[in-house]
Amino acid sequence: MDFSNIKLLPILVLGVALIVSLALGLINRRHFRGGYGIDGQPTGHAGIGAAIASNWMSAASFLGIAGVFFVQGYFAFAYILGWTGGYVLLLVLMGSQLRRFGKYTAPDFVEARFESSGARICSAAITILISLIYCVAQYKGIGLIFSWIFGIDYTKALLLGTVVVLSYLVVAGALGAVRNQRLHYLILIFSFVIPLMFIAKKLGYSWLVPQFSYGTALRELPVQTAGQYLFPWTFGTPYQWIALSVTLMLGTAGLPHVLSRFYTVPNNRDARWGVVWGLFFIGLLYWSAPAFGAFAKTWQARTGNSLDPESAHAIADLIIVKTGEWVGIPDFLVAILAVGGILAAFSTITSLLVTGAGAFAYDIYFRLINPRASEKQLMWVAKGVTLVMAVLILVVAVNPPGLIAEITAVAFALAGNTLFPVFLLGIWWDRTNKQGAMAGMIVGILLTFTPVLLGHLVPSILVWLPPTSSALIGAPVVILVIIAVSLMTPPPSEEVRRFLVEKVHSP
Amino acid sequence: MQEKSLENQNDQSLHINFFKPRPGFMRREVIVICMTLLAWAAVTIGFPIYLWLTASDPSLAVSAGRSIFGMPLHYWFSSQFLVLWFILICFNFNVMIDKLTKSYRKHR
Repeated sequence: MDFSNIKLLPILVLGVALIVSLALGLINRRHFRGGYGIDGQPTGHAGIGAAIASNWMSAASFLGIAGVFFVQGYFAFAYILGWTGGYVLLLVLMGSQLRRFGKYTAPDFVEARFESSGARICSAAITILISLIYCVAQYKGIGLIFSWIFGIDYTKALLLGTVVVLSYLVVAGALGAVRNQRLHYLILIFSFVIPLMFIAKKLGYSWLVPQFSYGTALRELPVQTAGQYLFPWTFGTPYQWIALSVTLMLGTAGLPHVLSRFYTVPNNRDARWGVVWGLFFIGLLYWSAPAFGAFAKTWQARTGNSLDPESAHAIADLIIVKTGEWVGIPDFLVAILAVGGILAAFSTITSLLVTGAGAFAYDIYFRLINPRASEKQLMWVAKGVTLVMAVLILVVAVNPPGLIAEITAVAFALAGNTLFPVFLLGIWWDRTNKQGAMAGMIVGILLTFTPVLLGHLVPSILVWLPPTSSALIGAPVVILVIIAVSLMTPPPSEEVRRFLVEKVHSP
Repeated sequence: MQEKSLENQNDQSLHINFFKPRPGFMRREVIVICMTLLAWAAVTIGFPIYLWLTASDPSLAVSAGRSIFGMPLHYWFSSQFLVLWFILICFNFNVMIDKLTKSYRKHR
């Protein structure tokens, strides 16, 4: 590993990838003008599924999960379990009902259901917070890869990465490029799986389906390593496992940018079947991610190149790139892995910044600060807020508080503690009112941030309420708060309740 | 349907509660939802509890018994079967809801 040299190949691949994606975005736009379909949206169940999967695949899935496998072995399956099982909850408990409700963003739903702009502002603030936390994790991924590519230190790489992301956002926005979700998914999954096949081949395992052949690699690990790596409770207790996976599931079902993707398809039935395909496409990534961890461990065992826990933790989020480098697959393929990570982070950051800025401009600025603002003014506010958010994220990301997957999990905990209970009760209990929803959201925010902010002062909080896993206890508490407060205050209007009966809960 | 709901404009007719679903479509939908949630909870909560009760010793995790594709059984279950299971229960849910929606649309 030579950190003093700039790696030209990844820069070239990244440059080509960004230019090609911009160019295709412009072609897409032309199609869109020619009446190519609603908002450039894919049609067909598999196409919708690919769009769901491409929207989902962030640096946490692409870089983060393999990293957790590398340092925490079997425990990492709690992440995979959480990030796939969440779609079951989303589909089963709210998919059809929310679609019939006909509101596509969290603030829109909250205002229509609870007839309260206060509740709307509250949910907009939560949307922004979720975007910020989620982006911190993406920034960490970009910082690490840019630092690997350019051989500069992490903080400088982070600055460089932010500048590149923002320029890309500005250029794409100015040109009006539309992203092709299906193509984006294909690029990501191929840049993940093809290098993995080469790694398997280089290590002497069957390369055709590395998702299966890494089992042979696990057999090869020395007994002690294998014991640690395969035993379920080496790195966490059963409670921590369940709390983490349930938190991620509840968060998945409440995440604003996941919901909105789910609802921008032609009809209810297409959306439901799209989820099944989406889950399959996401599964292709999650079936492969553990293989990177296993191959990295095998390589270490073969070469006797073991890392102390601290340095293992430091490179964990870059492990897919490192494994490629260690094993010695062609540089071109290592570059593809690195660029795949950047693209996954890029697309997530752009969509989250747009969601967050939109929530501020339309749901907070317009409602609370300047109700007479023109559309043009709101656009400028959104642009300004995008910049402010980008800088805020940068400040936190300079000292990332954990692994990429762990930081992302905090965003899921927030969604699981606030938006999930509000959606769930809002749909399934007509008596839920605005007072209940607002009280619930505020308690949910407090429950999420108590372990994050006070955890180091009162370590006992962390036992039952780990920052990454607070929704197992948090969400039920919030649900009880919403029920109690709703029962103590007047019921919602007859109009809303009639709407629930006649529209939301009818075929 | 439209006329019927206009007649029952009293407060009672507007109740929505997951645990007391309205007769007809909603009740049958809730049954399908509960079945799916049960299949979901079995692996989400049931499986770790089962593992907790059975896997007590790290060395067992390596050597114990059967393996699939070289992976110990519990490892294979989490790495490959779980996601497949979620896909299957979502598939089944969609098939049942499709059927339900179709039959109720015919009624109307």
